[in-house]
This record gives sequence, C-alpha cells and structure tokens, in this order.
Amino acid sequence: MSMTSAHESGAPERLPEPSPRLLLIEDDDSIAAEVAEELTTRGYDVTRAATGVEGLDHACAGQFDLMIVDRMLPELDGLTVIESVRAQRINIPVLVLSALSAVDDRVSGLKAGGDDYLTKPFAMEELAARLEALLRRPTDSRVTMLRVGPLEMDLIERRVFRNGQEIDLLPREFRLLEYMMRRPDTVLTRTMLLEDVWNYRFVPQTNLVDVHIGKLRRKIDVPGEPLLIHSIRGAGFSLRVPG
Amino acid sequence: MSRADLRLSGLFRADLFRTATFRLTLAFVVAIIAGMALQFGLVYGQMSGYEQQRSTDLLQREAALLVHETPAQLEYEVRERSKTDLRVILNGAALFDMSRNRIAGDIKKWPVGLEVSPRTQRLWDAPPGDTPYEMRYLAVEVEGTNGNRDRILVLARSLHMANELRYITKRAALMSVVPVVAFALMAGIFLSHRALGRIKDMHEAIDRIMDGDLHERLPTGRERDDIERLAVSVNRMLDRLEHLLDEIRDVGNDIAHDLRTPLARVKARLERVSAITNDPAALQGAIERAALDLEQCFSVITALLRIGEIENGRRRAGFAMLDLRELLAGVVDLYEPIAETEGVTLRVVDSVESVPLFGDKDLLNEVLANLVDNAIKFTPAPGTVELSAGQGAGGACWLRVADTGIGIAEDERKAVMGRFYRSDKSRHVPGSGLGLSLVSAILRLHGASVDIVAARPGNALPGAVFTIHFAAPASV
Repeated sequence: MSMTSAHESGAPERLPEPSPRLLLIEDDDSIAAEVAEELTTRGYDVTRAATGVEGLDHACAGQFDLMIVDRMLPELDGLTVIESVRAQRINIPVLVLSALSAVDDRVSGLKAGGDDYLTKPFAMEELAARLEALLRRPTDSRVTMLRVGPLEMDLIERRVFRNGQEIDLLPREFRLLEYMMRRPDTVLTRTMLLEDVWNYRFVPQTNLVDVHIGKLRRKIDVPGEPLLIHSIRGAGFSLRVPG
Repeated sequence: MSRADLRLSGLFRADLFRTATFRLTLAFVVAIIAGMALQFGLVYGQMSGYEQQRSTDLLQREAALLVHETPAQLEYEVRERSKTDLRVILNGAALFDMSRNRIAGDIKKWPVGLEVSPRTQRLWDAPPGDTPYEMRYLAVEVEGTNGNRDRILVLARSLHMANELRYITKRAALMSVVPVVAFALMAGIFLSHRALGRIKDMHEAIDRIMDGDLHERLPTGRERDDIERLAVSVNRMLDRLEHLLDEIRDVGNDIAHDLRTPLARVKARLERVSAITNDPAALQGAIERAALDLEQCFSVITALLRIGEIENGRRRAGFAMLDLRELLAGVVDLYEPIAETEGVTLRVVDSVESVPLFGDKDLLNEVLANLVDNAIKFTPAPGTVELSAGQGAGGACWLRVADTGIGIAEDERKAVMGRFYRSDKSRHVPGSGLGLSLVSAILRLHGASVDIVAARPGNALPGAVFTIHFAAPASV
C-alpha cells in the first residue's frame, strides 16, 4: 500500500461560500446531534427537525440547498415528506436515510423523489461525500467533451488525452474516469463508485475499487507530472487538479 | 418422590376419569344401554302383539262354538265352565239378559263400557281393594229359552300373560344391564389407566426436557397407534429444535469468536496509543488501524443482519426478468483487475447469447461476486476461474463458477454453505466467513440449489466447481 499512501491527501477541502443550508429531518436525537455537529464543522448551516410535520413546515418555509430525511419519522413518514416537498415544486436534492437496506426500500425511497439513499449505520465520511456529490450536480450529460486540468475526454470518439497525449483505456476504465471527470473536486467513496459505475449494491470482501483505481491511476498519473487521482484517507477518492 | 412425581400422581388419580379413553367408554356404555333398551322393547312388542292376537283368536273361536249350543246347554256350559275349562282358555264367561242382568256365569256384573259387538274389546277391570287389571272381552247375542235372541254371552280372557311377559322382559333387561355396564366400565378404567400410564411417562419426559435436558425424548414403543405416532412426531420436532439450538449456539460462539479477535486487537492498539503522547503521526496511524479493525467487526454484523433480512423477509419485490449472461459479464468486468493481480485468468466460457431468469439482480450479483471472490482467493497463480451459464431442458437455468484452486474436501462441501464455516485451509485468508452463507440465503430466496464438485479429483489442486440450479420458470 506504499503507493497509495504516497497519494493520500489530508482532509477534504472546504465547501464553497456561503455555507450550504441543510435541513436534517431525523427523530433519533443522538444521531441527529452527531450528524448536525459533524456537518457544521464541515461548513454546513444545519437546521434540525424531529418530526415529519415539523420537517415539512421547515422545508416549505425556508430556502434550503439540501435535505436529509429519515424514512421512519413520527407523525408523517419520510417518504410522504419527500413526496409533499416535491409536490410543492421544491427541487432541492434529498438524501434518504434508513435502517432498512432491502432493495425494495431503496427503490421506493428513490421513487418518492429522493436523490440518494444511505443505510444506517453509515460512516460520516460516506454521508459527507454523498452530500457533496448531491450539492455539486454532475456535468450536464449533453456535453460531448469533458475537461479536468490536463485531462480531456471525448465522449463521442471514446478517447482520453493528457496534455494532448492519448491514453489507451479499457471500457471499464473509461467509465470510471468519465464518472470522476463529471464530478471533479468531489470526494467519491468506494460505495458510491461501486453503486454508480458498476451498479453493484453490496460491500465486497475485497478492496475491489482500490484495485480499479490503482490500474486507472497507473495510466493517468504518469511519473513526473502532478497527481490527479487522490486518495482521501478514510473516505475514498477524488479527481482534483492541484494548486 | 420428587415434587414433580407427587404432582404427577395427584394428577394421575384425578385425571383417570377425565381421560379421552374413559370418556369414550362412558359414551359407549350409554350406547350399550340404549341398544339393550331398544332390543328388549322390540322383543316385548313382538311378543305382546302375538299374545293379544292369540287371545282375540281364542275368544272368537270359543264364541263361535258356544253360539250354536241350545240355550239350556249353553247355560249349563257357562255355569260349569270354571270346572270344565282345564286349559284356562277363558278367565270368565257369563250369560246376561238384554237389560244387562246376569243369568248365569262367573262374571258378577256387566263390565263397565262393554258393548255388544262381534269384535273383542279391551277393558280395565277394577275390583274394589285390588289393582286394576286388563281384560279382553267379547259380547255376542245368543238365543234365549223362548227362541228369541234375547241373551248376551260375555266371554273374558285376562291379559295377565302379556303383563307377565312385560315383567319378565323388563327384569331380564335390568338384570343384564348391570353386568354389561359394569364390565364396560371396568374395561374403560383399565384402558384409561394404561393410556394414562403412557401419558404419565410422556409428562415426565416433557418435564425433564423443560428442565433443560434437551437430549430427552418421549418414550415410544412398537405399537403404531395415535399416541405413538404423536410421540414420534414430537420427537422429530425435538430433534429439529435441538439441531437449531445447537446451530444458534454455534453461531453465537462463532460471532463471539469472530468479533473477539478484532476487538482484542483494537483494545491492544488503543492501549498502546495511550502511551504515545508526542508523535501525532503514530497516533493517527494507530487510530486508523483501530478504526479498520472495528470496520471488520461491523462487516461481520452487517453480513449477519443481511442474512437475517434475506432469510426472514422472503421479499421478492426486487424480482424482475434479467439476463444471467449479462451478470456474468458484469462480474468479470468488476473482478478482472484483481484476478490479474493475483495471477488468475477470469473469463466467461460459454457461447450462449442470453440466459433469461426471473430474479433479484442485485442479490444475484452478490452471489456471483461472493463465488468469484472466493474462487480467486483460493486459486493460486497461475490458475483460471471460469464462469458459465445456460438453460437446460424445461427452461431451468444453471450457473457455474469453476476454479483450479485448492478445492473443497468432500466432507466439507455441505458445511461451507453454513454460517461462519472456515475450512482449515482458509484460516489465513481474511473474510467474514459469511460470504457463502449469504449466498445460500439468497439462493433459497430464489428457490435455487447449489452443488459442489471437484474439477479434477485426485489432483494436488482439485479445483472447485459450484453449480447453481434454478428452478424451472413454471415452478418459480
């Protein structure tokens, strides 16, 4: 792992100013307090609501950038809250939290209007990375050319260049890089990559994603040039142009 | 005698009359009594009918004979009847005039209600100071001494024979009911006693089981009756429960063991950390490794919860038509880099275009990933892991993961699908030990079965071939 540690960088960068306003609807007080504290130190302006009704009131009244909704809530359950919010034409990103991990629960959470789904217990890094990804909507899918620093990706010809030098990638490496180039400067966790790039929804017993990233990195990050693919300790990976 | 025994014997006596056998006996006794009553009723009815018919015939015949006698002869016969009628055909005979006054004979006065008619009549005679008794009468007009038909001949026959018959049958019935009922009751008590004795043995066995002796079984003999069969069923249930309890205990031990090791490491690490005071980098490293060990504990718990979820939920909401061939391509795409670094060739080896199957894509991906993950782990370089899928006759799909690795010993093949099983060969390989039990839980949800064989038996690296057989579409 000596190679990986050479790429490791410190804490994720600060969020853009002004602080994103986040509405946290969660009835479990200890989880809510912990999440709120963590997210506040990460630069979010967190508002807490403990019931579905209270949360819905906040969502409709205030201008929020992001919402975290627990599925199981007193008075009004999480899915109903999301549906009501969507019915008000409030299109802010919503992350659904749930103690249930079964596939149909995830599907119903996303169907109700959630943008992402996270099962408890979760790592704070995972939550933070997902929120960040939700805030920075990926590049418009209609573009045909992606550019991140010295990297260029032609989506029609399926070709990749670094400083004009073509890099030969396997189809799966191309898919992985495309996903990362659409979300530059964003921390991408192993779970996110596994779910979004490969459509797999389970935690593998092997460090699969690390191997894929390692292979991609060997092709992208040639010696003597600044690193682009960074490992974020305890969180995942990020495609970032230094400086 | 222990307290349980005392309780049992008390229960034993009180319950003797409450056993199903005894109740059955009582019902049977009632049925016997009813049957006997019916039988005697019929016999008595038949006999009294016969007797009545006979007396009617006798009266008619006597009257027919006497009518043709001359008046003087008739009067004489009537007067002397009691002396000449040795066969006691008649119990009374008399001649009356038209105003119902007696002329001769032993019927003292005209019986109340008697009419002159060619038919016999039944009348109750009630002599003062005596119980009334039933008589059969016949009253016909006969010729008097003056040549006119101005006399009435009255003949009477007692029904005492019929009454006696009734008395005899009643008595016989009552006399026979007592021994029959007594015998049935005795038999009932004996049988109940026997049944209760067996029940008592079972009670004792159950008490021992409840006291925690799970190896105890209900006594069974060679008789294949209801109770015996019930006891056999209960014993089978106990076998199953004992097996499940053992399994749970094993799983509990395994969980404890699997969590104990990483937790002990975390503890040791944190203890060492507390000694580090002036090296932030070392501190950071130690904390991170501790977090990693905790992560492993989490993965064991998560896997267990998932197995529980899949096994209990029986949820098939995620089921849809999918292509097994596509899943194979996907898993190869995902695992190829790691196989490459391990020096293993991973490939799909069939030529089938598509293998349609109704199932849960995410869960089947998990199955495949676990099998491929295992295959790569246990196949030393250079080796191959080959995936194939197909559809047999009748539309039943199959899926195969074959490797050229260390293989699975024949006696371990069943156990590897259970929870936490780690073959001795795999002790050094990291993993939760739950991958294959997760696989079997998912396969059970799909109604699929798995078999494991060696690819090259006898070889130093026999390899393992996992074949999953899905049920044919109609039965899914």
